[in-house]
Amino acid sequence: MFKSLLLKGRTMCILVLCLLSSLVVTAQTKITGKVIGGDDKQPIIGATVKIKGTNVGVVTDVNGNFTLSGKNGYVLIISYIGYQAKTITVSSSDLGTITLDVTNSTLNEVVVTGYQSQRKKDITSAIAVVDVTDAKRIPTGGATANILQGQAAGVTVVTQGQPGGGASVQIRGIQNFGNSQPLYVIDGVQGNSMSNLNPNDIESIQILKDPGSYAIYGVAGGNGVVVITTKKGKAGASTISYDAYYGTQVPKGGNVFNILSPAGMSKLAYLAGDQSVYLKIYPGGAGTVPEYGYQGPGASGVAGGPGANPVGDLLSKYNFDASNTANDFLIQKFNQSGTDWFHALFKAAPEQYHTVTASGANDKNNYYMSLGYLDQQGTMVYTYYKRYEARVNTNFNIAKNLRVGETGYFYYGLSPLGTSDIPGQGGISNQNEGAPISNTYRIMPQIPVYDISGTNFGGTYDGPGGEPLGNGANPVAQAFQYQNDYSKNWNIQGNVFAELDFLKHFTAHISMGGNMNNYYYAQFHTPAYMDYESHGGSNGSNEGAGYNSNYNWTNTIKYSQIFGKHNVTALVGFEQKYYNGRYINGSGDNLFSVDPSYVNLTNVTANRQVSSGINQPIGTQSFFGSLDYTYNDKYILRATVRRDGSSVFYPGQQWGTFPSVSAAWRISQEDFLKSVSWINDMKIRASWGEAGFSSNVAGYNAYSLYNGTLGNGYYPIAGAGVTQQGFYQSNLGNTHTTWENDKGLDIGLDASLFNHFELTFDWYRKTISGLLFAANVPNTLGGAQPPAINLGNVGNNGMDIAIDYRNNVGNDFKYHAGVNVTVYKNKILSLPNNYIDDAFNRVNTIVRHEVGHPIGEFFGYQVAGFYSAADMTNANVPKYAGAQEGSFKYADVNNDGQITDADRTFIGNPNPKFTYGINLGATYKAFDISAILYGSYGNQVYNYTLYWTDFYGSFNGAKSNDALTKSYGAPGVTNPLLPIQSDLNSMGTTQTSSFYVSNASFLKIRNVQLGYTFDPKIIKTIGMSKLRVYVQATNPVTITKYKGLDPELPPGTGNAQSFGIDEGNYPSNQRQWIVGLNLTF
Amino acid sequence: MKKSIFKFIIPLSLVFLTLSYSCKKFLNQPIANALVPSVLATKAGVDGLLIGAYAMLPMSGNPTTGDTWGGSVSNWHFGGIGSDDANKGSNPTDQPDAAAIMNHSVDGSNDYVRTKWWSCLDGVQRANDVLRELPLVKDGSISAEYAAEVTAEAKFLRGVFNLELSKVFRNVPYVDETITYSAGNYNVGNPGPIWDKVEKDLTDATGALPATQAQLGRANKYAAEAFLAKALMFDHKYTDALAALTDIMTNGVTDQGVHFALNANFNNNFDADMKNGPEAVFAVQMAVHDGSSGNNGNPGDILNFPAAGPTGCCGFYQPSFTLVNAFRVTAGGLPFINADGSLPLNDYDGNPIVAAVNGASPGNNSTLKSDQGVDATDSKYMPDQTTPVDPRLDWTAGRRGIPFIDYGIMPGASWARAQGDAGPYINMKNVYHQSSAATQSESYGGWAPGQASAMNYNMIRYSDILLMAAECQVEGGNQAAAEALVNQVRGRMVDHPENWVKGRLTGYTANDATKPIVDNTQNAANYVIARYTGQIAGGTKEFARQAVFYERRLELAMEGQRFFDLQRWDGTFGGPEPTGYMASVLNKAIATNTSYPAAYFSNGVMKNATFTAGRNEIYPIPTGQINVEHGALKQNAGYP
Repeated sequence: MFKSLLLKGRTMCILVLCLLSSLVVTAQTKITGKVIGGDDKQPIIGATVKIKGTNVGVVTDVNGNFTLSGKNGYVLIISYIGYQAKTITVSSSDLGTITLDVTNSTLNEVVVTGYQSQRKKDITSAIAVVDVTDAKRIPTGGATANILQGQAAGVTVVTQGQPGGGASVQIRGIQNFGNSQPLYVIDGVQGNSMSNLNPNDIESIQILKDPGSYAIYGVAGGNGVVVITTKKGKAGASTISYDAYYGTQVPKGGNVFNILSPAGMSKLAYLAGDQSVYLKIYPGGAGTVPEYGYQGPGASGVAGGPGANPVGDLLSKYNFDASNTANDFLIQKFNQSGTDWFHALFKAAPEQYHTVTASGANDKNNYYMSLGYLDQQGTMVYTYYKRYEARVNTNFNIAKNLRVGETGYFYYGLSPLGTSDIPGQGGISNQNEGAPISNTYRIMPQIPVYDISGTNFGGTYDGPGGEPLGNGANPVAQAFQYQNDYSKNWNIQGNVFAELDFLKHFTAHISMGGNMNNYYYAQFHTPAYMDYESHGGSNGSNEGAGYNSNYNWTNTIKYSQIFGKHNVTALVGFEQKYYNGRYINGSGDNLFSVDPSYVNLTNVTANRQVSSGINQPIGTQSFFGSLDYTYNDKYILRATVRRDGSSVFYPGQQWGTFPSVSAAWRISQEDFLKSVSWINDMKIRASWGEAGFSSNVAGYNAYSLYNGTLGNGYYPIAGAGVTQQGFYQSNLGNTHTTWENDKGLDIGLDASLFNHFELTFDWYRKTISGLLFAANVPNTLGGAQPPAINLGNVGNNGMDIAIDYRNNVGNDFKYHAGVNVTVYKNKILSLPNNYIDDAFNRVNTIVRHEVGHPIGEFFGYQVAGFYSAADMTNANVPKYAGAQEGSFKYADVNNDGQITDADRTFIGNPNPKFTYGINLGATYKAFDISAILYGSYGNQVYNYTLYWTDFYGSFNGAKSNDALTKSYGAPGVTNPLLPIQSDLNSMGTTQTSSFYVSNASFLKIRNVQLGYTFDPKIIKTIGMSKLRVYVQATNPVTITKYKGLDPELPPGTGNAQSFGIDEGNYPSNQRQWIVGLNLTF
Repeated sequence: MKKSIFKFIIPLSLVFLTLSYSCKKFLNQPIANALVPSVLATKAGVDGLLIGAYAMLPMSGNPTTGDTWGGSVSNWHFGGIGSDDANKGSNPTDQPDAAAIMNHSVDGSNDYVRTKWWSCLDGVQRANDVLRELPLVKDGSISAEYAAEVTAEAKFLRGVFNLELSKVFRNVPYVDETITYSAGNYNVGNPGPIWDKVEKDLTDATGALPATQAQLGRANKYAAEAFLAKALMFDHKYTDALAALTDIMTNGVTDQGVHFALNANFNNNFDADMKNGPEAVFAVQMAVHDGSSGNNGNPGDILNFPAAGPTGCCGFYQPSFTLVNAFRVTAGGLPFINADGSLPLNDYDGNPIVAAVNGASPGNNSTLKSDQGVDATDSKYMPDQTTPVDPRLDWTAGRRGIPFIDYGIMPGASWARAQGDAGPYINMKNVYHQSSAATQSESYGGWAPGQASAMNYNMIRYSDILLMAAECQVEGGNQAAAEALVNQVRGRMVDHPENWVKGRLTGYTANDATKPIVDNTQNAANYVIARYTGQIAGGTKEFARQAVFYERRLELAMEGQRFFDLQRWDGTFGGPEPTGYMASVLNKAIATNTSYPAAYFSNGVMKNATFTAGRNEIYPIPTGQINVEHGALKQNAGYP
């Protein structure tokens, strides 16, 4: 208490000082003027007119006029975003019309950073400002974060093709084992996604990349922060505008997985000597495929065609019983020319997005409203994402010094597929061997999409017993099931705030904001009859609902004053955040009717189950402050500190302090550079800071817990088949765990050169220490989940380079080009037990995270050719069990004369050497053209799909052309690519090896847009003020040596830190042809 | 104006101050969805922990310990396909971890090995949780008697889990209730077997447990004594084992106080409707339709159903040719055993069975005819109805042309998932009766229809007790007593021909393979079984041993015992047979099972397989555990 009194005393002193300084006023006269833009000669509304050396200033009104008190000799600085600031010495009371020239520089832009705004030129740390106009041209596919790809140096975005599938965003590379996604701050509200924003609503995006800039977000900021501000009404007459596009998406053409023809499949079975298969499904000899396959009660086989029994009256036996699969007698006609499964699943699909906005402002209030409708159909049949959106942003100046306002966004999302944050929901499961996409390369080409009924699906069941047709599923049938499923999301996000100016230099800001997400989903399935393993079962239903909510309560007081050449801003704040939620799920089987309006959990007759739970509530409290000091626009210093307390940790570990300091030196203001005419502006900066991250730990981590769940704790102790609840330790607690700590240094250069270039360069080094890991405890502790503990360090260093060039030829032709390059190097500095194996697949682990290596490297055997006949008899050639002539020869890495586990080594790295984005744009008179390119260099992909298609001995199923024509021992092959095709498996075919690793550097032309803006004079006659139409090609070109679908891969079934593994991915590089318009009334 | 500003600042400052003092509460959010230890410090809590320890007995279904089936108490993997009982089943590439166990290329990275290890230790620690929680109960709800009872049950369970661990891995850590996360003493080594510790826990439990229990799932005195006997058998202490077994045979009763006895109907042991009968010395209780999605319904065996028929998946754990052929008997109804104890049957001599296509008789008359390579639609196929076989065969393995439990005639290849790779026979002992399918089975986890079942797994049934006692008698030189015990086991079948499989296939209606004509008054095959009449009592010691071993093989086939029996008998760890015995038995079986023409039976998993003596008798310690224990844990001999 005493301490706080003292604090109060100090505050009072500062207040008194401030009062005094504001009394310095002398005799004044009124000075007036009008500001217009050099481009359109229209009044500039909201331009700042400031008396140099003071903080006295006004803003121009709706007619561009201003009035302020001053006297002759005062120097006025007139500035507005996008225009070059003008300095005028007052010589008369009416300054007349002042024209501001359009700037090529964006330095005067005001950017919103942590809890306040700064001019771009005063930035002292690594903050990237995204050009929203450019970025918006990338169709989002329902995931708005996609627009960040290639738009800012230091930001890596992996997009997904699945409608609404989300994007993986990393700032300066992968940071940890778990959640590496940045924090999103939308209109001051912290949340976990930007993906459902309407891109048209976005005013600006800033990306805080270094600890110097994001330390002010403390424990939430460690992975970097994306700060988004949505639009406000702009002064002037109210406008109504309509933005829309319509397009079509076209899946990749050709034989994308290089699958054999049915005749080729038959030849391959003979080549591999797999009698148990070829006798059953290719009885007529190599290259033949019978006419029909059938299976029913007690009967199965093939019929018709060479070697097979005659068809006879077989077709008359066809029977399909939807209620009891045991009665099914299914017959399919083999597709002799081969089913193109990929294109049976992927078809051209439309997309459209419409946004209507209304906005306006007067000197007191402004408003912005928008309605949006997105309908993103997926190229995979039956997939889509629809979103209905509404936004209302308003601001009211209710007194001269008091403003209130709100931002409010509501959307309703609809999709047949689950999103990962909804518990209990399956969905499409991209990048998974059992998903429809993966089944397009697993299911044999002779299987038809539909069986002889024409309406029921063909599949692996309809053939001889056993599973010579493989155990893949009919992917179209799988996707067909999604028709019955839906997932609905209702989300409200935004905030309400009030801002009070007091004592001249103080502004208090209070904001209550948050996010409220409600979801509901329902799934229905009918008994599968077309797949080998699941033939049988009953229909069933699964539905559930839940909510997540969080609030942010933020209070800040800002003090800002200019003393001569000293410009000081200080801010203190308090913030409280709270998260909670609940969910419920129910399921059951055996519905009498499959009519969708009858399907519900009341009507299920078997296995009715219900579960629910609470999302562990998390509370966070924080105190923070920042100090900005600028001397003479030349030396800029910023310091921040935040103290965070989080309920996630045990008392004693809950509080942490995160400081940062950064400084910049505007070297171009120094006398020795002032005369260098080609330097418009140059600033050197350095920052250091510390932040934290705690999302990779559960809120109950500190506690040892017991549970008594049905499947794990119940036991029929009475012996009568009725289970009784028992308890078991479910979690071990650790009271010492605390957050991951991110410390980093950034040195940067911002320069404006030759009037046309803007250059930003950053070098950084960042260490993430005390990584949160589930403690790796031995099983001697039983089955309880170990707690997360702080173990292991990761170091990232790299460079961000951004160059922008803008110029014009005359007034009619303007052009710009921007290039940004992201270079990061990630290295694991320490880990418990030195390494972690990851990405468990059917055959083995693919990834090893090891000290001294980057996160995510591929680990396996190095293929060193094939065993020759001579090798097989030479005892000095190290071999593994089951090796035969033509098997992969693995390198004996440790030279011990045998091939064992210990010979595995690092065989590839999914981390790119660098990624880059290129934005090009030009306008000529009414035409404009722009292009966005995105590339990645030096990344490798582990093509797991080849396990299924290139090795005969993996599961029965579709195989590749290479297996037949490029394998060891195949007729005419002298320089084999693949090992001998055989149904015998050995380490040569079942282990992770360098065979699967390929260079996956790519360059994608993401977008080319050609627009035409109609002459305002002409359209004015029909009531419009602006009309632009455009055509656009998205992803017209992907240049890569990678042979799979798309070299850009989201994480698969492993964890987020295991990436670059292709298990069959919904491609995000599909061509799209779009027409669109921007219309303003 | 200024006044009003102060009005604003002062309350704001107060708000700030208040907040900084209310932080503590805000930062201690309630723990969702779980219990903290103090809540369990009551009698009900302790009993709940004890039930939780029992709940680990299936050794599966624990989401934190990996695969549902990798640790299964039935030991279909480690005890079954790792021995000559069964093939893995399904396609050669399906479940590669199982394939590695089957062809003895298993190593410490194998996921089944990891899951088994973890499941057993999870059970040990759940039992320890009971012992740790007991002293925390201060509310007076627990009497000294109850505390003793609970302690004994916990020690029983700890003994059972440690015995299971020891069977599979032999050199294992002993984890008692002092080993905890907070104590930091969890890197427990495995300097050697812990039989003495297992025996101590089970001796304590035998001493303290009551003879009867109201709840039939709980261990009683004799269950504990039976596991003690089993541990002593693995420890090769035949005298001590015989004492315990004799006590069980003399005084042993079930939880209900019924004297242990063999069920008149052998199949009652594998009938979910007949569980907890007089033969069940200790059974892992299973239940379905309890809302757990099949998790309490023998989840460890969900793969082990025919690929058609009773369920649709997954065709694992198929009886091997060598096992089925072992059921052939002499015309007098006794197994083929030479006087010197060697086994004359040619299925051990590596002679292939020639394809019996389209009903033609097999090329070698001394092996049982099978439908290997015969299409399910073939309407001429007739099973072998003349070769004398032990009647237990058709309660152990599903064969074409013979009724499969109460599902009617087994139709052959259409029920085998990949007959060409894994053979024609279907496992049976974990399959519920069709008549009780509705009540005793349910879908497992939503993907395996009908594959969760309420059939108990008998960890020890009474015939096991009798046969262990017979072994002790042979080693103790009392072969007459051994013969009497073996005859007691055989007598059940000899005396109850009414319980042999009935339903002789006589043909097919209209040449339709789906319409068999069955004579239900006749035995399905030529069943012959008789008691020994002095052959054991008067035979060589080796003959007596092999006769007891052979009886175990037939009686307990497909119950996950075979591998561990061979391990016990091998001289490597002190067994009665020479060192290398297990390797010679299994390598002979490999030779037989891989000698068929590939078109007939490709058996890709076993190609080039060898059982290596001195290594494969026990399984490798999980490599991950060796790494995480920082040197405390050592790998078993022969494993890298």
